[in-house]
Amino acid sequence: MLRIQNLTKVFPGGVTAVDNISLTVPDGEFLVIIGLSGSGKSTLLRCINRLVEPTSGRIWLDDVELTALAPAELREARKRIGMIFQQFNLVKRSSVMTNVLAGRLGSVSPMQSLIGRFPRGDYDRAYANLERVGIPEKANQRADTLSGGQQQRVAIARALMQEPSLMLADEPVASLDPATSHSVMKYLEEINRQDGITVICNLHFLSLARRYATRVIALKAGQIVFDGLPAEIDEERFRAIYGEDAVEVEIR
Amino acid sequence: MAQTDLVRTAGASQGAPDPAAFRRAVGPGAFITSWRNFLFIIVGLAALAYGWRVTQVDFVSLVVNLPKSERIFTGLLQPDVVARVTETSSVQAPLQVGGVAAGQPSTSGIPGGGTLTVSPSPVQPGAQLTIEVSGARANSDLNLLLVDNVGTARPIRRNEKTDAGGNYTLSFALPTSVSTGGYQVRAEIATATGAWRFSETFLTALDKMVETIFLALMGTFFALLVSVPLSFLGARNLMQGSTLGWTVYYCVRMLFNVLRSIETLILAVVMAVVVGLGPFAGVMAIVIHSIGAMGKLYSESIESIDPGPIEAIMATGANRLQVVLYAVLPQVVPQFLSFTMYRWDINVRLSTVIGLVGGGGIGYVLIQYINLLQWNQAATALWLIGIVVIAMDYASAVIREKLV
Repeated sequence: MLRIQNLTKVFPGGVTAVDNISLTVPDGEFLVIIGLSGSGKSTLLRCINRLVEPTSGRIWLDDVELTALAPAELREARKRIGMIFQQFNLVKRSSVMTNVLAGRLGSVSPMQSLIGRFPRGDYDRAYANLERVGIPEKANQRADTLSGGQQQRVAIARALMQEPSLMLADEPVASLDPATSHSVMKYLEEINRQDGITVICNLHFLSLARRYATRVIALKAGQIVFDGLPAEIDEERFRAIYGEDAVEVEIR
Repeated sequence: MAQTDLVRTAGASQGAPDPAAFRRAVGPGAFITSWRNFLFIIVGLAALAYGWRVTQVDFVSLVVNLPKSERIFTGLLQPDVVARVTETSSVQAPLQVGGVAAGQPSTSGIPGGGTLTVSPSPVQPGAQLTIEVSGARANSDLNLLLVDNVGTARPIRRNEKTDAGGNYTLSFALPTSVSTGGYQVRAEIATATGAWRFSETFLTALDKMVETIFLALMGTFFALLVSVPLSFLGARNLMQGSTLGWTVYYCVRMLFNVLRSIETLILAVVMAVVVGLGPFAGVMAIVIHSIGAMGKLYSESIESIDPGPIEAIMATGANRLQVVLYAVLPQVVPQFLSFTMYRWDINVRLSTVIGLVGGGGIGYVLIQYINLLQWNQAATALWLIGIVVIAMDYASAVIREKLV
């Protein structure tokens, strides 16, 4: 279970991205965060694994207080939190296999990773995870030779290498076409349902949120303006979240 | 609606500001009409006038004395690259100076054909002496020398030529200054065989050019060893976040700037004092300067990488070193190689100049040729430098294009 208490992030420029948010995410939930660009979705997500240092507030993952950890302990805690990104964030010049194995960096001995060696079991697991996202044949290709959807699947395989209990997805399909978006979302749904990994996912499109989320929260100016089931977001709520002039765009 | 608005604003009617406000000079005129700008111009002209005086500008002399450089330019156009292959043969015939009766001519066979005949022998000082070369190689250079019994040679005639039949005859009065005793008349015959070979100058210059290229290579290599690790400490995106990080970042960047700003020529002079004249002084001068220059380039290329993979690798729980190895290094290696290539290319150019102040390499022989006014030889070195620099420039451009 993830608990967030009075989380605030003020950037050095004085912009308050996340404004006193409190939130509890039970295990196994598929939580989708929606909101306009700049509403604080990405910052909230990055505060959880402290890629962005929160200004104030506390975050617990189960009984570990993430916000109180020293650097070495934080690295230990990050191993349990997988993350995928809008721009996939693969190392483009490295092979798919190397990218997937990088998910194990927190667990292998630093000396081994220095010479680029991973335990044999890790290679097998990397291959199994690539098989799971449907692209085992790409293992030895350079990452930048893959299409956007395939790259995001490699990123999911990389995150799965950590055997996480929580998966953070920062607009994972914003750079993808509608058909590919669904295929990527389905993999996230699958790891949520089958492996019981809690998923917290930022999305632009409400239609995708309705289709995949078990719970939706909406952010506006760093604050939660909606928290409920996807079906509860009607026309009026939509306008409250996205502004008066907004028209919903469907992605099918 | 919006269009009407636009038209209204653009039009001159209806509460528009006073047209006089727009009635100022535009273009270059606007610059001069301001008093402040006028002052700038006066100060600027004064600076140029002073500069003209202290740098002793003399364009008249430049034009009038241009012909003085003619020897240099003609020399440059005739580099000393090839020479004809010559075969030299030498022969001696005995000659007795002083003595009693008129005797027999002395004859010796020339290796490779022909004879050298000296008559009469013995000969009296002041009397007529005939030296005859017959049947030797045609159209060959011929030197005649008189060698005394302790081996001291003095020239009789230099740079004579045998005729088309390989014959040459010289009759002259033996100077009275030649004391009596036993002598040898030596003939040195040098024939161009028609084949060409590279001249001594060219081979020396080539040897020194190779030295120069490797001087630059070693300099670049040692600088690489130092500047690559330092460049990570001088990259803003890796060092930000802690006070210690910022301190290290600023110190490393400062070091790069200081090293980069010391001219290699000065470094070469200093190093020549430390390690002695020669290529190693040049290597060290290049190392010191290149650490600064390469370190700065490397740091900047680290700063320009995609931060996404760093974020992703950090999110897996990797430590700082692992982030550098798995997210930073793969992104910068091609650029590092490209910069190193480029730097080597620059260093070859630098090391030609470093030689001028005693840092070894081709510059060292070039400055000697120039000091001795041997323009053809200097031209050989200069042309060689030009060709190598252009070739390196081209090669490094091609390789860099492949890398990035």
